[in-house]
Amino acid sequence: MNPAQFIREGFVEIREHIGRTVMQTLGVILGVASVVATLGMTASMDARRDQYFRESGGTRLMGVYNQPPGELEMTARQRAKTGLKLSDAEAIRDTVDGFDLVVAEIASNHRVRAGATEESFRITAIEPEFLQMRELELGSGRYITDHDMDSAAAVVVLGSTRARELFGTADPVGKALNIDGKAYTVVGVTAEKIFFWQQSDTYNAHEWLNRLIVVPITSYMKRHQNAGAERIDELNLRLRSPEVHEESRDALELLLRSRHGIEDFGVWDRQERIGQGNREGMIYNITFLACGVISLLVGGIVITNIMLASFTERMREVGVRKALGATGWQVFVQFLIEAIVVTVFGGAAGLALGIVFTFGIMAVMQMPMTITASMIVISVASATVVGFFFGMYPAVKASRLDPVVALRYE
Amino acid sequence: MQTLMKLEGITKIYGEGNLSVEALRGVNLEVGVGDYLAVMGPSGSGKSTLMHILGLLDSPTSGSYSLDGEEVASFSRRKLAHLRNQKIGFIFQNFNLLPRASLLRNVELPLLYGGMGRKDRRRLAYEALAKVGLADRARHRPNELSGGQRQRGAIARAIVGHPSVIMADEPTGNLDQQTGGEILELFDELRAGGQTLIIVTHDPSIAARAREIIRIVDGLILPNGQKAAA
Repeated sequence: MNPAQFIREGFVEIREHIGRTVMQTLGVILGVASVVATLGMTASMDARRDQYFRESGGTRLMGVYNQPPGELEMTARQRAKTGLKLSDAEAIRDTVDGFDLVVAEIASNHRVRAGATEESFRITAIEPEFLQMRELELGSGRYITDHDMDSAAAVVVLGSTRARELFGTADPVGKALNIDGKAYTVVGVTAEKIFFWQQSDTYNAHEWLNRLIVVPITSYMKRHQNAGAERIDELNLRLRSPEVHEESRDALELLLRSRHGIEDFGVWDRQERIGQGNREGMIYNITFLACGVISLLVGGIVITNIMLASFTERMREVGVRKALGATGWQVFVQFLIEAIVVTVFGGAAGLALGIVFTFGIMAVMQMPMTITASMIVISVASATVVGFFFGMYPAVKASRLDPVVALRYE
Repeated sequence: MQTLMKLEGITKIYGEGNLSVEALRGVNLEVGVGDYLAVMGPSGSGKSTLMHILGLLDSPTSGSYSLDGEEVASFSRRKLAHLRNQKIGFIFQNFNLLPRASLLRNVELPLLYGGMGRKDRRRLAYEALAKVGLADRARHRPNELSGGQRQRGAIARAIVGHPSVIMADEPTGNLDQQTGGEILELFDELRAGGQTLIIVTHDPSIAARAREIIRIVDGLILPNGQKAAA
């Protein structure tokens, strides 16, 4: 027996009763549409978030900042041990294998003067790998080199916004810049980075990168701190791979606690944040998916009902088929395949509707839409499952019809 | 003559207890290969029940029925469906063509259930349609055909699998006299080709063409030649 023939019969059935088919599959269409829309919106937002992370250093970034413990009596000796220090960066590089980039950072506000412009700006003192870590590209000039670090060179790299504010439209490379009265030379300007969560946003999520004024950490310490000071504000870290996330974070915290004798730091962790986001998203997803599944169930019940209601109409047909030698099994398969063809048709329509729905919502939110393969697979699979289970009863009923009774039916 | 069907002491009782109805009360019948039988009898006489039993659509309450030498009373439903497919071709009063399928697909149906491949099905279906003069109507649907054409299509469907016997239930009942005549001529041709035919009918002029007339009254076959009472 040939299933292709029965699939064709299913299509004939749809063509002949297009109105009935639409009614019959409405529940499946709406169910699949809401499932697809849920997945579509989640996928679109995830894609947007991933893009944001990718453009600003990826999901492997982690950072440690100073977070002094509250009211705690400490001896001077203890106090001397606390706080992030340049040597912590060395210790992490030496003992924690899971990070491929470790960048110490000091950030504070200083008077910055260029020509006639003078203003208080935040100065970020870092090590050279910072550029790589934040996916920064150069618009002109060069970046801070290891040689600059070793020689504590008085060089500065500007973000694109700062460059404009301080030097207007002229290329600042080679120009002089004064930070708290100390002379620096601008050696490079980073390319402008732009990311709008929504197209209508006026807030560029990457703008802080355009506002950087970056100097080598060694130069900063030499010119703006007392000799011997080695305190830093933050440690920027990047994981070698997402797989080493937990062990590396544990090792990092253990190391810093033992070096500081106390937990005086906080950790930000993109991978952890994504995990939290996913967990929160999951609740939202489950709620909406449950609605979709319920309408799929209702849709299935409608299918069973309409198949049973149209059953009397088809009794004679079943009788004829049996008289011509169709076995109960063949009749069963025919009815079941027909039900599945009808629901898969509904699933396809639901997929289309769900995509339109997602597109509409994303258009309102002014975010680009993402369609994933799983949306297609899930819609077709759930429609097939609904057709299979809810087509089962009418199919069994048809297969058991007594041919004499069925033929006599007027 | 070689025996095709043999009924011995066939009874059929519908229902149970006081409400039971004896449709057949001990029917004995032999049908030979190449026979042309007309089954006649008033409404409610049991001729439809006899047809259904002969056609393997229904099974007798008691008695034995052998078809082509096989005792079929004990066969499973699946096996009976298979035998119907292979050995019996039905023709109904109201044609019973599937309305949504083309004539060609209607004629292909028995071959489909017999498990034949698409190419052979198509070839044999066209052959059968040619035999009844409808090759040019193969792509039409039943509602695009006249009554006579529909019945000829149904005949094509009955003969397509080369069954051992063709059973027709009032095949001209829904047709005008001239069209009915054409159908009967088609039966004559089949008969001439050695096809076994059993026709249930009210019409004596149809019965007159048959080689033998079986008269059935109150669930019993009357002895040959005897007139039915009332």
